[in-house]
Amino acid sequence: MQQEQPKVEAPKPEPPKPNARRTPPAILFDSDMGQNIDAALALAVLYNLGAKGKLSAVGVSRMSLEAAAFCDIMSRFYSGAGDLSSPQFQAPAPVGLPETGPAAPPTAMLTGLLGMKKPDGKPLFTHGVQETLDTADARVLYRNTLLTQNDLEGIVVLAGPATNLVRTLDMSGAKSVVTAKVGLLVVAAGAYPEGAPDPRIRADIESAKRLFATWPSPIVAVGIEAGEAAAYSGSRVDTDFAWSQAHPVAEAYRAFGKSPYDAPAQAALAAYYAGNPQESFFKLSEPGRIEVLDDGRTRFVPSATGKHRYLIVDATQKAKVVEAYAALASMKPAVPAPRGRPPQAAPAAVKPLAP
Amino acid sequence: MIVTKKKLDRRTFLRGVGVTIGLPVLDAMTPALVRAATKPPVRLMFFYLPNGIDMPNWNLDYQGKLGELPRILKPMEAHREDTLVLSNLTHNYGRALLDGAGDHGRCCASYLTGAHVKKTSTDIYVSGPQSMDQLIAGEIGQKTRLPSLEIGMEDPRQTGSCDSGYSCAYTNNLAWKSETQPMPPVLDPRLMFERLFGTSGDLSLAERLQQQRLRSSVLDFVRESTQKLTKELGTSDRRKLDEYLSAIRGIEQQMDRAAKDENPVDPGMGKPAGAPSDFGDHFKLLTDMVTIAFRSDLTRVGTFMITREGTSRAYREIGIADGHHPLTHHGGKVEQLAKVTQINEYHVKNFAAWVERLKQIPEGDGRLLDNLMLVYGASLNDGNRHIHDDLPTILVGQGGGTIKTGRRMVFRRETPFCNLHLSLMDRMGVQRESFGDSSGRLPGLDTV
Repeated sequence: MQQEQPKVEAPKPEPPKPNARRTPPAILFDSDMGQNIDAALALAVLYNLGAKGKLSAVGVSRMSLEAAAFCDIMSRFYSGAGDLSSPQFQAPAPVGLPETGPAAPPTAMLTGLLGMKKPDGKPLFTHGVQETLDTADARVLYRNTLLTQNDLEGIVVLAGPATNLVRTLDMSGAKSVVTAKVGLLVVAAGAYPEGAPDPRIRADIESAKRLFATWPSPIVAVGIEAGEAAAYSGSRVDTDFAWSQAHPVAEAYRAFGKSPYDAPAQAALAAYYAGNPQESFFKLSEPGRIEVLDDGRTRFVPSATGKHRYLIVDATQKAKVVEAYAALASMKPAVPAPRGRPPQAAPAAVKPLAP
Repeated sequence: MIVTKKKLDRRTFLRGVGVTIGLPVLDAMTPALVRAATKPPVRLMFFYLPNGIDMPNWNLDYQGKLGELPRILKPMEAHREDTLVLSNLTHNYGRALLDGAGDHGRCCASYLTGAHVKKTSTDIYVSGPQSMDQLIAGEIGQKTRLPSLEIGMEDPRQTGSCDSGYSCAYTNNLAWKSETQPMPPVLDPRLMFERLFGTSGDLSLAERLQQQRLRSSVLDFVRESTQKLTKELGTSDRRKLDEYLSAIRGIEQQMDRAAKDENPVDPGMGKPAGAPSDFGDHFKLLTDMVTIAFRSDLTRVGTFMITREGTSRAYREIGIADGHHPLTHHGGKVEQLAKVTQINEYHVKNFAAWVERLKQIPEGDGRLLDNLMLVYGASLNDGNRHIHDDLPTILVGQGGGTIKTGRRMVFRRETPFCNLHLSLMDRMGVQRESFGDSSGRLPGLDTV
């Protein structure tokens, strides 16, 4: 049963300023899109950070063309200011997928959304991911994106297995790029200070171990307990996204499970924190070290010299936190500023050879 | 019984005063039963196009077996069985990466070095430490008379700024021997000829002047040596040698004509000494020399700058008086874009004509082309918007049977161009774990 949410005052998100001169920090988002609705909410949050962060690369940590297609739909949705027929619309940057790996089975959220049709029978959402060739090797995409950043200004948000990030560190020359460019990694995985195993850790325990042991920048982890404490209320969906006739996040929410349901918001919290680390309603743990155990559980070991912390959702601030990230996730994006040059044509569709 | 005794050494030269001419592979050098087991060497050359390409007229809308080719690649249709079209290769280090304007300077300098070069017009630096061709030359160059060949058709400037603060050394060179030492291309066909066949550096000034005064052909200087060799050859080899020497004579005749050509290439633009003013004649002269160099195994790796990056060369040969670079910034104007397409097409037409000539040349039990890897392409995609991904690239030749041609291969987006370098280096016998910003090798070049 859904409980009515109390009305709370939360900071109003600043609308993006397309012509602002300051370069926002680049944000890389790697997730297990489709496994939980929170990754979709997180993506929406990141697209609306405005001057606080520019979503510069999006990847999927499992080999899933459907998940990549969803990310591509989101990219088109936000770069076209919600209107794919907009003259401002530009072909999006590629979505990253793992270099190799078995295909992950599609989920109801993805198949449901990708199967939606308009009254004329055409897909409700268009995307450009038909095959693996339409995606990028996530390692290369992340390395290349970080190279466009000022030193230590890059922010990485991980809401999935650590596979892609660890492989990026392993790629020739890339660890030094990560070391030079990334100022913060926010990980939406684990339970803190300890708890049950997180499926995002269990999906690739070895990579998770290596990530926490070798990642060069400070890490802030957002655990299952935080996501549950500040869950997204299903009663909000119809009103939050009402400004759009077909919003991919709202449709994904509906396709994911029987509505309404409350969705743990681990990834959305991580995304919000990445753009708003100074927010007063966030509390961080003391510094320490996060360890990954063989069964996929995480354990936080306090240490004055540690580079890791975890996010704590104060029960008294919970409503404010939810209001903040939900408002940002559902905000109508600003219309991009007109550009001097003609819009880039989408790459020609590749089709099998006839002759 | 296997006969292994060679009649003639592979490194046999025709020698005369100040002249050394290498020979193509002759039957006499490899007895028939050994020939099958002796593979000719693989040779590699990059043909660099400036200012990107009109991609809608280059890109295919299918992958796999090559069928009908788009307008710019149309001249290659006759050679599609020998052509591999590569798509989605990216040179990330050509991008600004916080360095601002200067895509022409960056893209050219990074093309073979795989490096993000220092933005400067004075103290040039590429963090290579060397371009891949020079890396190959350093490892296998001792096997040939010339470790590498660097050829160009325009503009020898090595100093000053040629693009938004990037030195002309970046836009005018492909090959880098070290972080600070480019290998300027030879522009003068006569100099190239002497590099291939001459030993003039060993002569005194007086001897050199006498040679120039008396010379009608280098073949005159090796006549005695030729006659002696001919007596040792069978009918087939004699025909091969005669055809080969005729090709050298043909080059000399082209150079003689070029020496009398006083037409400018373009008002205000320097024409390399001794070069024909007509682009097609110039290209033919230089590529014919490359053919000789490859046939006689004078070198196994080289670079050919069709023109320098950012060039404003006009192409009056095809009725275009506007500069190439300004045309590429067409801003969507159809008339300008049409001229860019025409220039792109003209370049391919000349290249295709050379490929046609190469196809006719036998080597071992096959063709010379079977053992070549000719990479033809640009380090910008669309010159109007300075895009650094999906670089227009074709590879011609089978690399000694290690490359399956006749198709288009599409790789994942953002695939580093340096992955191609690693794959080609393998085929040249130079193994590295990584090069530039490579993430691995290109998969499937040798399988269909």
